[in-house]
Amino acid sequence: MYKQAHYDEDFLNSFNTGNDFYMEDVEDTYPVSIKRKKLELPNVRSVDVSRHFTRLSEMNYSVDLGMYPLGSCTMKFNPKYADYIASLPEFQNVHPLESESRIQGTLEVMYRLQQLLVKISGMDFASLQPSAGAHGEFTGILMVRKFFEVKGELDRRDEIIIPDSAHGTNPASAAMAGFKVVEVPSNAKGLVDIEALKAAITPRTAAFMITNPNTLGIFDDQIVEIADIIHKNGSLLYYDGANFNAILGITTPGIMGFDIVHFNLHKTFATPHGGGGPGAGPVAVKAYLKEYLPVPVVVMENGKYSLYYGLKNTIGKVSSYNGSYGVVLRAFAYALKNGNNLSLNARRAVMNSNYMARKLSGSFEIPYKTLKKHEFVLSTARTGRRALDISKFILDYGIHSPTTYFPLIVKEAMMIEPTESVTKKDMDYYIDVMEKALEVPEDTLKSSPVNTSVGRIDEIAAARNLILKWPDPFENS
Amino acid sequence: MTETDEIFQYLNISSDEDLFADIPGRLRVSTDLGSPMDELSLINSITKTARKNIAPEMNFLGNGIYDRFIPPLVDEIIGRNEFLTSYTPYQPEISQGILHSLFEYQSIISDLTEMDVTNSSMYDGFTSLAEAVRMGYRINGRNEVLVPENIYRSQLSIIENYVLGLNIKIIKYKFGNDGLIDMEDLKSKISDRTSSIVVANPNFFGLIDENSFHVSEIKKDALLITYYDPVSLGLIIPPGGYGTDIAVAEGQQLGIHMNYGGPLLGLFSFKKEYVHRSPGRLIGLSNDNSGRKAFVMTLQAREQHIRRSKAMSNICSNQALLAVASLAYLSIMGSDGMKKIALITMNKSKRMKSVLSHAGVAPVFNGINFSDNLFYFNRQEKLTASNISGGIRLSDLSDYPGYKNSAFFSVTEKTADDSIERLAEIIGE
Repeated sequence: MYKQAHYDEDFLNSFNTGNDFYMEDVEDTYPVSIKRKKLELPNVRSVDVSRHFTRLSEMNYSVDLGMYPLGSCTMKFNPKYADYIASLPEFQNVHPLESESRIQGTLEVMYRLQQLLVKISGMDFASLQPSAGAHGEFTGILMVRKFFEVKGELDRRDEIIIPDSAHGTNPASAAMAGFKVVEVPSNAKGLVDIEALKAAITPRTAAFMITNPNTLGIFDDQIVEIADIIHKNGSLLYYDGANFNAILGITTPGIMGFDIVHFNLHKTFATPHGGGGPGAGPVAVKAYLKEYLPVPVVVMENGKYSLYYGLKNTIGKVSSYNGSYGVVLRAFAYALKNGNNLSLNARRAVMNSNYMARKLSGSFEIPYKTLKKHEFVLSTARTGRRALDISKFILDYGIHSPTTYFPLIVKEAMMIEPTESVTKKDMDYYIDVMEKALEVPEDTLKSSPVNTSVGRIDEIAAARNLILKWPDPFENS
Repeated sequence: MTETDEIFQYLNISSDEDLFADIPGRLRVSTDLGSPMDELSLINSITKTARKNIAPEMNFLGNGIYDRFIPPLVDEIIGRNEFLTSYTPYQPEISQGILHSLFEYQSIISDLTEMDVTNSSMYDGFTSLAEAVRMGYRINGRNEVLVPENIYRSQLSIIENYVLGLNIKIIKYKFGNDGLIDMEDLKSKISDRTSSIVVANPNFFGLIDENSFHVSEIKKDALLITYYDPVSLGLIIPPGGYGTDIAVAEGQQLGIHMNYGGPLLGLFSFKKEYVHRSPGRLIGLSNDNSGRKAFVMTLQAREQHIRRSKAMSNICSNQALLAVASLAYLSIMGSDGMKKIALITMNKSKRMKSVLSHAGVAPVFNGINFSDNLFYFNRQEKLTASNISGGIRLSDLSDYPGYKNSAFFSVTEKTADDSIERLAEIIGE
């Protein structure tokens, strides 16, 4: 039986075991007018820092411990060769303002990943600059904006259409770039409702943002027709690449008719999610949008790599420097290692998702079309049990819950993405636990989890009585 | 029967092609992505690529990213699989480790800056600055933002991109001949239209800017956004000590490798009354159902997954792992360590200014520098010939109209004293 460690771990600032990071005394000749009066960082020995984080780490679930099927997050195995490569000092110790002649290796990796992403997406040019998926979306929408600004149409193109099944980042990114968000409903099959889309499209429409397969894990086979409708209106089609793991090597956003794509390297290309980040969100575009990409992009001439800033209509910068290089490098290692087997990973991810969906369809309602891609969404509504309770119950079995209450169009939703990294045995165990959640007494469900480091947490109290910082240990002394 | 066969049989399919029957044939591709590689060949191949990089003999690059000493314990901690391969703690009961760590990160950065609240990280320093400007607009709805005239071009570009939808006008204020904020000019530009005033300390000439400590006295009811250097706070007055409303910084120096400028760490702190207008994730302290201390993500109604187009920001993935690195770094160094690192840095800057000055390379300003030092210098070819990194021109970084023939040389605690002498020999007149 699973039992997660629990330590009643103190805050570092209350340890007071004495800092032992020895440094020689240093001369101080600076005026008091610039100096702070006090600084009270933790006063703790290195051994206690080490133990503190080791204990905390034992209170944290991870992909390396077991199945972590958060839908739309693609929690696949993060290969250790990629971490090793990213730790090579030749890469790690490079300053972002270093001159190009000294960093040909660094730039070569970027150039080759740009080329690979272009191939994989069926687009023409790529930039690695955005720091995460949502940042890639924002970058893409800034390009949409600039495109219409250059055409002199920005005044009247101020709307972006988004399906009601979209990731929350889509409307947030569009709004951040100054667009009005128009939501269109999905049809009974969970796909874009073409009639509703036609009704929503106006001369004000700048772009339509979608992911395909969508957040229900369903491939929208009307995509070519959709692209046609969008393009006839003079609007652009944006591809949210969060679900790319379903189609890698099978089809491309390029061939589907998309104009702008972002990738989530931390999802599709297996880089570690780090407890919430870092990610990387490169963007790729069709040739006619190349001049709008953020600068610089990496170019190659006569075997020499360099940074190119001369894009005529560039949106400028979105990140401090050239993007999340440590993530880019890991993604490059993964892509190079797998090569043509990348599509086998996609196939396996889709197979696993369909296996779990079919198996669970006996106990749970799985709305919309049966054939799933890399993920699927089930509803617990008809079981009489809440997705929340089930998600807490399954933690007790040493597995991580799916994404819950998303997408918003499915009641009591659980969104499951097994990825290619799980075995049949892993999935069968997961399915058993999901089914068990329907059999146990309601009380058991409501009182779970009990095997995790803590039980259910009072989230309302956390918001009502906001405590966002440790207490000052000297407050009462 | 293999596992795949069993699954195929269960799904009643003969090949995984059947699982893609919904993707029309005309959309199918067969892209050649190269032959798969074995792990040894992969490592050999990429190591060969890595060796195409040439390490400089001496490195004087800085201006935001610095080559500082990283205690090996930091990498050990963030290399732990339990942190490295987890994600956003959507299930807090099974994710207390990362939640506790991020709560401590929020706390330690709040202590370092003397600000009330710190969020659990943004992408990097420049996007933090841009998000701070957006937050300022959300707080007071005013349309002018005052920024320093020596702001880096890339910072300005990011701010401009982040405020495109907001009808905000960006106005630059000037600097005096001493390289510090021209308070008269700044004062003349502050009005009831001013949403926020961005100050940097050390400023973008590299100087500890004593005038920045007095901006709050003239800001009327505009917001003060301070862009600081977290290592400098080992010694220098923190943003919370001079009336800052939102304090932002690049946190790379706190135990994170340079990695060609990414992934980085955006530090983002603010006064508590603005918490509902703030971007990013917040970790709060609560209890579990048996009264034990427990942490959760809180005030999520500000975020994109709940609020969608009305969210405070679109940020989802952040820099959690790097936040843990900075927490570990600051805990290992402690107050005394941070103070000494700041002092060593400033002493080396002072020494560099003196040594180069004697060699005929004059510093542009007399004030107190932190890491970055601006000199009248335009003979970059001398650096290239001797394989020295540094000497970034002010004009490469900023559209500032003056000091055209000046360049930066930066120091950290890793800068060897004899490398400063050697630099003077090479670039001296």
